[in-house]
Amino acid sequence: MSDVTTFRAPTEEAPIVRRILIGVVVALLAVLVLAPLFVVFAEALSRGVGEAVKSLGSRDALAAIRLTLTVAAFAVPLNAIFGLAAAWAITKFDFRGKAFLITLIDLPFSVSPVVAGLCLVLLLGTNSTLGGLLVANGYPIIFALPGIVLATVFVTFPFIARELIPVMIEQGKAEEEAALTLGASGWRVFRTVTLPNIRWALLYGVLLCNARAMGEFGAVAVVSGKIRGETATMPITIEMMYNEYLSVAAFSLAAVLALLALLTLALKTLLEWRHADALAATGGH
Amino acid sequence: MHIEIDEIAKSFGETTALHPVSLPIPSGALVALLGPSGSGKTTLLRILGGLEFPSSGRVLFDGKDATGLTVQERRAGFVFQSYALFRHMTVFENIAYGLRARPRASRPPNAEITRRVTKLLELIQLPDIGKRFPTQLSGGQRQRVALARALAIEPRMLLLDEPFGALDARVRKELRTGLREIHDATGLTTVFVTHDQEEAMELADLVVVMSMGRIEQIGKPSDIRARPATDFVREFISA
Amino acid sequence: MIHRQKSAMPGFGLSMGITLTMLSVIVILPIAMLIARGIAWGPAEVWNIVSSQRVLNALFLSFKLSFFAALFNLVFGVALAWVLARYPFPGRRFIDACVDLPFALPTAVAGIALTALYAPNGVFGSLFPFRIAYTQIGIFIALVFVGLPFVVRTVQPVIAEIEKEVEEASATLGATRLYTLRRVILPMLTPAALTGFALSLARSVGEYGSVIFIAGNIPNLTEIAPLLIVIRLEEFNYDAAAAIGIAMLLISFAMLLVINLIQMWSRRHV
Ligand SMILES: Nc1ncnc2c1ncn2[C@@H]1O[C@H](COP(=O)(O)OP(=O)(O)OP(=O)(O)O)[C@@H](O)[C@H]1O
Ligand SMILES: [Mg+2]
Repeated sequence: MSDVTTFRAPTEEAPIVRRILIGVVVALLAVLVLAPLFVVFAEALSRGVGEAVKSLGSRDALAAIRLTLTVAAFAVPLNAIFGLAAAWAITKFDFRGKAFLITLIDLPFSVSPVVAGLCLVLLLGTNSTLGGLLVANGYPIIFALPGIVLATVFVTFPFIARELIPVMIEQGKAEEEAALTLGASGWRVFRTVTLPNIRWALLYGVLLCNARAMGEFGAVAVVSGKIRGETATMPITIEMMYNEYLSVAAFSLAAVLALLALLTLALKTLLEWRHADALAATGGH
Repeated sequence: MHIEIDEIAKSFGETTALHPVSLPIPSGALVALLGPSGSGKTTLLRILGGLEFPSSGRVLFDGKDATGLTVQERRAGFVFQSYALFRHMTVFENIAYGLRARPRASRPPNAEITRRVTKLLELIQLPDIGKRFPTQLSGGQRQRVALARALAIEPRMLLLDEPFGALDARVRKELRTGLREIHDATGLTTVFVTHDQEEAMELADLVVVMSMGRIEQIGKPSDIRARPATDFVREFISA
Repeated sequence: MIHRQKSAMPGFGLSMGITLTMLSVIVILPIAMLIARGIAWGPAEVWNIVSSQRVLNALFLSFKLSFFAALFNLVFGVALAWVLARYPFPGRRFIDACVDLPFALPTAVAGIALTALYAPNGVFGSLFPFRIAYTQIGIFIALVFVGLPFVVRTVQPVIAEIEKEVEEASATLGATRLYTLRRVILPMLTPAALTGFALSLARSVGEYGSVIFIAGNIPNLTEIAPLLIVIRLEEFNYDAAAAIGIAMLLISFAMLLVINLIQMWSRRHV
């Protein structure tokens, strides 16, 4: 009689092919993605934990952390408001030009961050009409906090909307309509029906947006003017330190951002698990 | 081709899909596997087609052990319930697929492929749809294209999993007659799965009633009607 | 501009108002500013600035290396997506999460990390008899890093959606596994793979942070276009910076168009 173990389902590759493919792919990913992550921490700790912590306590590092937190505190809520508004308009209503609107929202994805910064400099820099006017009245934007916030909002613009739109499309509007027929006001429907349904997607969008906001480099490099202790965000300070051969200091600051990235990914994976469970619970009957 | 199912059993982990079942299928017969959902019809059909491997037992084609033959070696024309047409190919290319997939030595020349596909399109009475894509066809048309695609490889047998399951009542009736005609024209040993007893009784030479992984009765439709072997069969065919 | 059908759902005015206002002020107005400058100059004048050897070299370098990096990611990304979607193996979830790392890791962090790895005295750099950091190979590696998730994340869901029956049908028709992969599966993945390729390319062309550390930034050799914009801005040469920016914006728009065309083409038979 034939042997069961020699049978291979027609939709599968031979075990040897699988193993080779898994091996190659995992090895490449380890070299390309995991090694850089690992080296950040290795370099940061190359002279011990004490040195790394000490460098994080330096004046420049602290100023950078404070500035980056401030920028994120402005940029992330702005994008959350935008993301919620855009997702609501796009998923709850039918109107002409919707596809075009979505393309426009995605536009920052395909524009180089440096070009984004350039656009802002040309619009609001001291030698532009608008920028000149603002500076003359004591509101400098470029080479100051507002410019950094604007640049950050620009590059992270689509993030939250992108996370919300698919989820809200999938959920449809039946629940909202049901709530409306029960006499709930628009705000109430949004707070009690929509928001609970999208809270995980919103949370992930906010996290992703936050990670990108804190890590944004190209656009901020252009608009910030890189003034030490004043407009140098964490990534900009990393660059400065690195160029001054302060390797441990640069990598320690980088390690903080890397931890933030890891935290974001861990949360994403966790949410996907929860989501899978929730889907199985509702889809399986 | 004569098919012999010899003490075939199949389990998926904990669930037993087939207890050992045996069944001779005479050459050229049109056989219905009839039974409620989960009775193991699809599993048995897939084992015949080489898509699934039995936990124990043998399959014999014309007396020779075929259990170890791969899907490709079996040359069974298989029609899936979802039709499984290739969406990115035209109807013509779908039907020609099996001929083009042959190794160079046995692959017919292009002109011959065109001739055969054209003939098959005529056989399924859809001579003009060769250039269309599967998404541009109705459900009934798709089903017939899937049948033509299976016939193109000059199969040794025809296996159909709920061939009319996804169609409305009128089209079902039409295609039933179509399948009967094609079967009679080709003389292929044909096994189809259904849970519709009327369909099985009307179309098949031989009906195999299954329940919970076991064969309850094998017989001509008239015999099964006249003398149901078990309570289950009696109840199922009167439903 | 926006007409909508009547709906009982409230909040259209408010949500659309916020959307359009923020979109206009933050995204469209600044970009329009740059385009307006280009229009005021006219194509001849823009070309005049862009066509200096150094600028052309930088643009060509950015595009060339981005193309090769996207090509690498196309092949590697499809293989990775296939492994993640089809093969259960210990640690698969972990590997899956790692794919997103280039999205989440700040570009400057990736930049200095890659440089430390591939510098002549770095862990990887010391393994090779030739230089990697401060050459075009280094830039290529950085661009592979940033573009990696795009192909994987566009192709993976498409693989997951392939009906098992379609592959089985191919086998019952006598096709070998390799033939099935070539003639049935690959064509099904092509639109998504090309979209991922274009996204990866678009991202790489504009990439700055992860490249400049490892690039060496030698004019005409390892100087990428975005860096040249930054240099011109630091020289307060706004016109030159704007001209290069316009050229890059045009490349972005062209790529956006290509992506949309691919998607239109792939929806043909679905
Ligand atoms: N791949 C599989 N993995 C695990 N269990 C399976 C698998 N395929 C079938 N089964 C189980 O085997 C049993 C028989 O299934 P089968 O598909 O053969 O039934 P069926 O008679 O074709 O039913 P239906 O009319 O619903 O198609 C069922 O209990 C089913 O859950
Ligand atoms: Mg079945």
